[in-house]
Amino acid sequence: MNPIVETEHLSKWYGNVLGLSDVSLQIEPGITGILGPNGAGKSTFLKLISGQIKPNIGTCAIKGEMIRNNYPLFSNIGFCPEQDAFYEELTGWQFMIGLLKLHHFSFSEIDARARKALEIVDLIEDKDRIIKSYSRGMRQRLKFAQAIAHDPEIIILDEPLNGLDPLGRRKIIHLIKSYKGEGRTIIVSSHVLPEIEAMTKRIILIHQGKIFAQGDVHYIRDLIDTHPHIVSIKCSDPRHLASKFIQEDFVLNVNFNSAEDTLLVETNNRDKFFGLLPSLFVKHNIEVEEITSPDDNLQAVFDYLVGR
Amino acid sequence: MGRKSKKTKIFFIVSILPVVIALIIKLNQFFSDRTAIRGIYIFDNMTIAIYLQFLILILALFYGTSVCSEEVEGKTLTYLTTRPVSKSALIVGKYTAYTSLIIIMTSSGVILSFLILNLNDLLDFSLYKILLRDIIVLSLGLMCYTAFFTFIGTIMKKSILFGLIFSFGWENVIQYFPGSTQRFAIIHYLKSLLPVPRTGRFSFLMFRLEPSPPLFAVFMIFLIIGVFLGLACILFSWKEYIFED
Repeated sequence: MNPIVETEHLSKWYGNVLGLSDVSLQIEPGITGILGPNGAGKSTFLKLISGQIKPNIGTCAIKGEMIRNNYPLFSNIGFCPEQDAFYEELTGWQFMIGLLKLHHFSFSEIDARARKALEIVDLIEDKDRIIKSYSRGMRQRLKFAQAIAHDPEIIILDEPLNGLDPLGRRKIIHLIKSYKGEGRTIIVSSHVLPEIEAMTKRIILIHQGKIFAQGDVHYIRDLIDTHPHIVSIKCSDPRHLASKFIQEDFVLNVNFNSAEDTLLVETNNRDKFFGLLPSLFVKHNIEVEEITSPDDNLQAVFDYLVGR
Repeated sequence: MGRKSKKTKIFFIVSILPVVIALIIKLNQFFSDRTAIRGIYIFDNMTIAIYLQFLILILALFYGTSVCSEEVEGKTLTYLTTRPVSKSALIVGKYTAYTSLIIIMTSSGVILSFLILNLNDLLDFSLYKILLRDIIVLSLGLMCYTAFFTFIGTIMKKSILFGLIFSFGWENVIQYFPGSTQRFAIIHYLKSLLPVPRTGRFSFLMFRLEPSPPLFAVFMIFLIIGVFLGLACILFSWKEYIFED
């Protein structure tokens, strides 16, 4: 398959701060997830491939053409920015119409496309409200709508699930996946692995401005699963629960917090651990108040993987 | 996309202020016993003192600099630069929209002030020539200053501060310099299109050392518009704008 996006030795720095370093990759049609902790260089990469900023070194091409200042290419590109920025005084409808006008469609087509995009993101009934009055979820969906309204072949989404509630996330994930079936190229960034996992199996890991790994999600999962995880469990009988965990070979360490109502378990196999946990609660009649994973964030995983 | 903005509402009110002043003057004339000064004389002075030396500079400054900076500061630039439209077209498009808006704002105020102040001479059609000439000069001024400030807005972050210094420092001082120095002020070319000398209290504002010929002045005004708008387009296409968190 021919690559749609191709970068060679792409590097970008902001003064003394490195944004992206020597990134060479090819992105083919389908959904590609860009995964990395905050400040890893995901947004810089997406801004470079959408021509918003220019690389200090290297090149970036979309379908073989250089992107920067090549505005005709944008009739085929939809971009959903990370920042929560809008023309606040406009209604959702005016916002969509205004941006579609820049695509040189006829009036009737502009109207039809705006309507269709707002229907897709479930905003058609709120189209005449000013954007300032929209909730965070509605604003995210409106950003998504403007990116798909002109029916682009390439859709670039920078953290599209930020600030969304679980239902909103499901809706956007479903939308993104439905677009994959139409032969499009979708590039989506996130710092949350399960979000990316829910959309695609093809992942590029970015860390400190460099491509850390790329490939199938199972490969990334394997990398992450070798990282010991600490799980915090607040329950009615933490000592009793601890005595059960201590017998398992995938549990490396067990601790209590100072109030002794929370158990901290370190495991090297999350799947086995979370597989056993519900049955222990039921079998020993333990009431659970809260389960959290203090280091279950991508930064901790990356720190572990790079050997910090 | 900024037609509904607070800025537009505020500047619409500002542009209406001279109309209120004209109304107060007219009412004062109506109720006082003193010999009335001719309306056209007051209108002439008002055009220079309020519109030419103040209002068009303020309007051009705030709208011109915002052509680019409001998109950068509002972080909405991404929506525009990821469309199949050249960056030059975005600049020219916004410049044209904003200039049209402030020309309409200014002209409405000028026409209303004219009608109020010349209520007793509305059938004197020779006065309408003066109205038309003033509207044309003010419109050229708005076009020229807005082009200049559009350029300043694309190149500078603190463009308003620079614009204020330019408008009420440079423009007000340089025009009174002798020799060719005065030709470095835009207002020199605008004043060259108005008749001299006017008499009365505000005549010092109309003071000109060596006015340029009207045709040359018009040529220079359009040259300034072209050069600064062209530079703004080149710079906007070339420069990258990084949003601040």
